[in-house]
Amino acid sequence: MRLLRILMLRPLRRDALRTALTVLSVALGVAVVVAIDLAGDAATGSFRSSLATVVGTTDLEIGANGGIDESCLARLVSLPLDARFSPVIEDLATIDGLGNVPLYGVDLLGRSGILMSRPLARRMHLRPNDKLAITLNDTRQTYIIAALANSTDSEFLVLDIADAQKALNRFGKLDRIDITLAPREDFARAERAIRAALPPSYSLEKTGTRSEENQRMLRAFRWNLRMLSYISLVVGALLIYNTIAVSVVRRRGEIGILRALGAGRAAILWMFLTEAVVLGLVGSLAGVALGRALAEGAVGLIAETVNSLYTSSRPAPVSLGVGEALLGLLAGTAVALLSALAPAREAMNVPPTEAMARGAHEHHKRLRWRRDLSWAAVLAALAAAASQAHPLGGQPIGGYASVLLAIGAAGLAAPAVVLAVNRLTRHTVRRLFGVEGMFAGRSLAASLARTSVIVGALATAIAMMASVGILVGSFRETVLVWLDTQLRADLYIRPAGRTGADQFLALSRDLAPIVAAVPGVDAVDVFHALEFRYHGERATLGGGNIDIVRRSGRLRFLPGQDRDAILRSLPGQDRAIVSEPFANKHGIRQGDRIVIPLAERSLALTVAGVYYEYSSNQGFVILDRGTLLKYLPGQPPTNIAIYLRPGTDPAAVQREIQKRTAAYRIVIAPNQALRRNALDIFDRTFAITYALEAVAIVVAMLGAANSLLALVLDRRRELGLLRYLGASAQQIRSMILLEAGFLGLLANLLGLALGWVLSLLLIYVVNKQSFGWTIQFHPPTVLLACAVLAVWCATVLAALYPARVAARLNPVEVIHEE
Amino acid sequence: MTPVPRLELRRVSKTYRDNGQPLPVLHEISLALAPGSITALVGRSGCGKTTLLNLAGAMDFPTAGEVLLDGQSTARLSEAELTLVRRRRIGFVFQFFQLLPALSVIENVEVPLLLSGARRTREPALERLRWVELEDKAHAMPYQLSGGQMQRVAIARALVHSPDLLLADEPTGNLDTASGEQVLRLLQQAAARFGATVLLATHSPEAAAIAERRVRLRDGRIESIEPA
Repeated sequence: MRLLRILMLRPLRRDALRTALTVLSVALGVAVVVAIDLAGDAATGSFRSSLATVVGTTDLEIGANGGIDESCLARLVSLPLDARFSPVIEDLATIDGLGNVPLYGVDLLGRSGILMSRPLARRMHLRPNDKLAITLNDTRQTYIIAALANSTDSEFLVLDIADAQKALNRFGKLDRIDITLAPREDFARAERAIRAALPPSYSLEKTGTRSEENQRMLRAFRWNLRMLSYISLVVGALLIYNTIAVSVVRRRGEIGILRALGAGRAAILWMFLTEAVVLGLVGSLAGVALGRALAEGAVGLIAETVNSLYTSSRPAPVSLGVGEALLGLLAGTAVALLSALAPAREAMNVPPTEAMARGAHEHHKRLRWRRDLSWAAVLAALAAAASQAHPLGGQPIGGYASVLLAIGAAGLAAPAVVLAVNRLTRHTVRRLFGVEGMFAGRSLAASLARTSVIVGALATAIAMMASVGILVGSFRETVLVWLDTQLRADLYIRPAGRTGADQFLALSRDLAPIVAAVPGVDAVDVFHALEFRYHGERATLGGGNIDIVRRSGRLRFLPGQDRDAILRSLPGQDRAIVSEPFANKHGIRQGDRIVIPLAERSLALTVAGVYYEYSSNQGFVILDRGTLLKYLPGQPPTNIAIYLRPGTDPAAVQREIQKRTAAYRIVIAPNQALRRNALDIFDRTFAITYALEAVAIVVAMLGAANSLLALVLDRRRELGLLRYLGASAQQIRSMILLEAGFLGLLANLLGLALGWVLSLLLIYVVNKQSFGWTIQFHPPTVLLACAVLAVWCATVLAALYPARVAARLNPVEVIHEE
Repeated sequence: MTPVPRLELRRVSKTYRDNGQPLPVLHEISLALAPGSITALVGRSGCGKTTLLNLAGAMDFPTAGEVLLDGQSTARLSEAELTLVRRRRIGFVFQFFQLLPALSVIENVEVPLLLSGARRTREPALERLRWVELEDKAHAMPYQLSGGQMQRVAIARALVHSPDLLLADEPTGNLDTASGEQVLRLLQQAAARFGATVLLATHSPEAAAIAERRVRLRDGRIESIEPA
């Protein structure tokens, strides 16, 4: 133990700055992983309906696409079962200045007024018998608060089912029937009896299935986020490797002496592994604490994405449990331990008779570059093969494996790249930068083992930045083009209040005629959207005026599909078009037949075409409005698209519509505003991606500073010698800065090449298999060039301190240390 | 007229500080070295030989007294001028060879020329390697050489820019007898063939024997000079 303290901990203390930088790298890596995990849990873990606090726990629930016919309830209660059947209507109420809160319609035995959860009442400073004004769909209504409902932290409102049906204009319809079985009731028998009493198109599921469904639906999203969060940890791992490798190189002599004095190989191995564990553990402890703090910031961003793209969720408080903390500690420490294995094994194999000089060690590494390059080729081939694999359990496991293999291949190719670039640029560099340039280039090539790791770490961070940048840039460009084809109307109307991707507030049926009568309006496309389930997955069923879409829209279909012919074939037919994610998710192609349970029947639809769509990866099935209303006659409109006559001023028409619809709580948005809003949502959705990338880059920068400092300290004797041989302090400083410049250049070269490969994998494999979108390849060249330049500048800036240290070394002291 | 000594130390003293306490290393050393002469500094470890070499090579400065190179005090030179002096007029040879592990043998020899911005570096370096009989090792890496070979490369490097002053710190201290003799022959030739003034610090009587004058140091003072 004492030996460990002297030989391992003392050097860590002596190189306090380097130790601190390494610990900080691990801490940031772990913090990001912990933060994303905690924030993901908080943002998506609140699907459990707060209704449970009002009606108690339930066992089964009945649902149906398009709603349940209320008459079904009568059939169910007459079953010879000891069970309670609770009809439920679920919607959103908009409260001015507060936003949307869940509204439940349940059987309150005709009790009038509205129930309010205590947390909501507390927030609004309201008490029983106070008045509450809310907007339901597009209509404002006022209620008296009858009582407060107990709840720990959920905010919601409850109406008697009859009042809810009236207020929401859903006479005779229910969203759900919750079933509670008596303890002595046989579950399987009850399930069979209920199933038999229901139309086949109705679903009967155990309570909680929907929450599980939500988690399943978000799995791809969370997986991708998690993968991104691991980048910083991987970059941190490379730095731990570097720190331990430097330790081993610097202490080869020491190790030889220890071996000669009787230290066993295992003792040497454990010494270095302990050093890594100490660094990993301290970094992880700091990382867990930092991650908890970062999670507070990340939860809002993730919740917003979940709401925009997937389903409504209200962020729960971030909570760091023992499990999560242990996981963070374990991840950081394990990564540190694994990273240190190779250099520690190398230390273990130092023979007692040999305190091999760095030159020989590095020379051996130099001789191994061909072997490393061969392995890189093998990994690249495996990456190509893995990219062709089909998804496993809906997850692009092959895609992830392919990304990891490609990163591994790039890491193994790093020595060859360093040598090749060094050889190719040798003469130019010497001509441009003189002797300092020559020394810098030679030193990097000579310290190949070390240089390769720094280049590999930086290149990985740059590659991830570039690939995610290309993915997001391409996606944005694709969405821009898509918005252009999708948003063809001049004005759009929707109910007031923000909703999640799965929630569709209703518009009054009276609106369309009012709007159509406004002068300047050419056509009004009334759209009806509702959430439905298909093969256990949720999607959106929509009905619009396909004839208007055909005449005015530019909807794009998959290659080889004739837009005009497809759209002409829809009206009056049981035919539908489906979005690309829906088709990919369910393996549907043009001409296939899909059967959608709709109300009491099952509707068989022929897929007329598959169109590009980027607003939701759950997918859309679109029918002609006439067809939808034939099967769901009471389905209210949810959006209205207004086309104006040529030469009409949209602002003037908007004002006129606002005047004529003043009694309705609606939002009228011009085309441009909707487009801007869509892009704002897009940018906010990817904000967290950029934040994660930024952390990975910061970790890599810390690593670069750390490694350059190590390089200086390790070569201080050589630097001192150069002063003896006539080098000026300025020459030494320039040399270190040039080395940093080369490192940055090499890392950028390798990083961009790897980034390009990774972007192809992300766009065509991981994204396609996770989300089902076709993204056109549009690298954001200017942004990438700026980012790469910024990283390069940061690398050189990171070298300022090591260069200063190098220039200030006392040559007399360092040369006589031996 | 008396010729100006190549190197002259006038009442030079050097005191380091150790934990705030003064630690005198050299006391009022006065010494003059004629151009092309060989002088050996002898004495026990810690007597101040290496400190004196560092002062002579303008790598360090005396606490008192003056070090003059061709009559010019090193203390009056700016940092840039000192760098030029080291580049052009001084060559160092160390006990532990001090070759740069990243560079090949020929590149190690080229370094002083490269640092001074010389246009022709390869030819003079090869010529010096030929002189030390290591031309065939020009492209080897330092770790591939024996100790004697490394020291010969170090001597080639120290003389590649034809310095006026060659400072050698225990040049044979880490070598076997045969290699040591070879190195000493080269140092003699350095003075005879290239006109360098050689100041070598050594424990070894064999090394001291090649010198025209032997300066014995004891506890930082000159104990004797032979021949007087």
